[in-house]
Amino acid sequence: MQDFIQLTAATVGSAAFAAFFNIRGRKLIYATLGGFLSWAVYLALFHFTANSYLSGFISSAIVTIYAECMARLHKTPATVFLVSAAIPLFPGSNLYWAMNCLMLKDWEGFSAQGTHTLLFATCMSAGILLTTIIFQNIWHYLQKLQEHI
Amino acid sequence: MKREEAEQYLYCAMSIGEQLLISGAEVSRVEDTIRRICTAYGAKRVDVFSITSCIITTIYGEDFDFCTQTRRISATSHDLSKLDALNALSRRICLEKPDPALIKEKIEEIQNGPRYSFKTQLLIYALVSASFSMFFGGNARDMIASAIIGVLLKFLELFIKRGSVNNFITALICSTAGGFLSNLSVMIGLGQHADLINIGNIMLLIPGIAFTNSIRDLFSGDIISGLTRFIESITLAMVIALGFTLGNFIL
Repeated sequence: MQDFIQLTAATVGSAAFAAFFNIRGRKLIYATLGGFLSWAVYLALFHFTANSYLSGFISSAIVTIYAECMARLHKTPATVFLVSAAIPLFPGSNLYWAMNCLMLKDWEGFSAQGTHTLLFATCMSAGILLTTIIFQNIWHYLQKLQEHI
Repeated sequence: MKREEAEQYLYCAMSIGEQLLISGAEVSRVEDTIRRICTAYGAKRVDVFSITSCIITTIYGEDFDFCTQTRRISATSHDLSKLDALNALSRRICLEKPDPALIKEKIEEIQNGPRYSFKTQLLIYALVSASFSMFFGGNARDMIASAIIGVLLKFLELFIKRGSVNNFITALICSTAGGFLSNLSVMIGLGQHADLINIGNIMLLIPGIAFTNSIRDLFSGDIISGLTRFIESITLAMVIALGFTLGNFIL
């Protein structure tokens, strides 16, 4: 039940976030779908692996593939779909707790939350990066192949 | 092509690049777009250098010699619809090669393009805060409090942005006010968990596009822009989180 509520909140949240950046029309729907996908994948992976870093990494990688595919389909920059799709993964709450601990001079809590925020953000970026690089290389290769034929 | 003409075309290309950067494109896309447009109009050599706050382009052609223009970008306002439209325009320019007057007209059109009405924007702010406060574990009452504070923050942001203050100060004031309001809402019995309300509102201010772009920039070889944007977004995120917790201490 908790998962279901979270998934709904993530979907509505990424729709609102996409609209926040003035995405309109059909692209808004696809951007929202990305947000749903990212959190659904994360939850499913977390259920099996119980490792939030690994789940975050794979989930952001899958979402990047989705965003790049959508970008090619709609002939638009991948950023349009990527930003709102990746937003549920952003470790906003950990960042807040870390700062909260800092203000309360709870150094242990600060280091634990801060490390988690940093590591999770790193895993997320690594996921985005790895797929972007692989995807773009494959794309260039395919385009070259097409030119030869 | 005469020199005056070349200057006009370069001016258009620079305008497109400038608008792309303002609406939230990666630096590599800006450089690539300007290079493609100039090449399409027959420049022999195009050298573009762009960082997040500046674009410099020099083009060379046998009949118009060297031609250089610079743009300084001082403020960004992320708008992905504009980014999409500009991208489509630059594709069209490379294919059809229209004259500068038409390009300028199109750029103008994109700049005045559709935006959500003010009421819808308020609704969007409310939705973002409410859904993320729910997402991180808040209950229905936290959601409502978060939505109301989100709307208030939009008004506050509008008010502050009238007098042009620095980005970080705006973020700090907004987030401190957010923290203060969330504690107030708990005190008067509207919300239940001030922290979860805050976390919902944080998402409104978090620099999402800047962060994703910085990573993409960093690893596509634009180290300077990537690093600047990365540091900027990390600092901004920390300032925002700090502001919200600061609000807890006021009350």
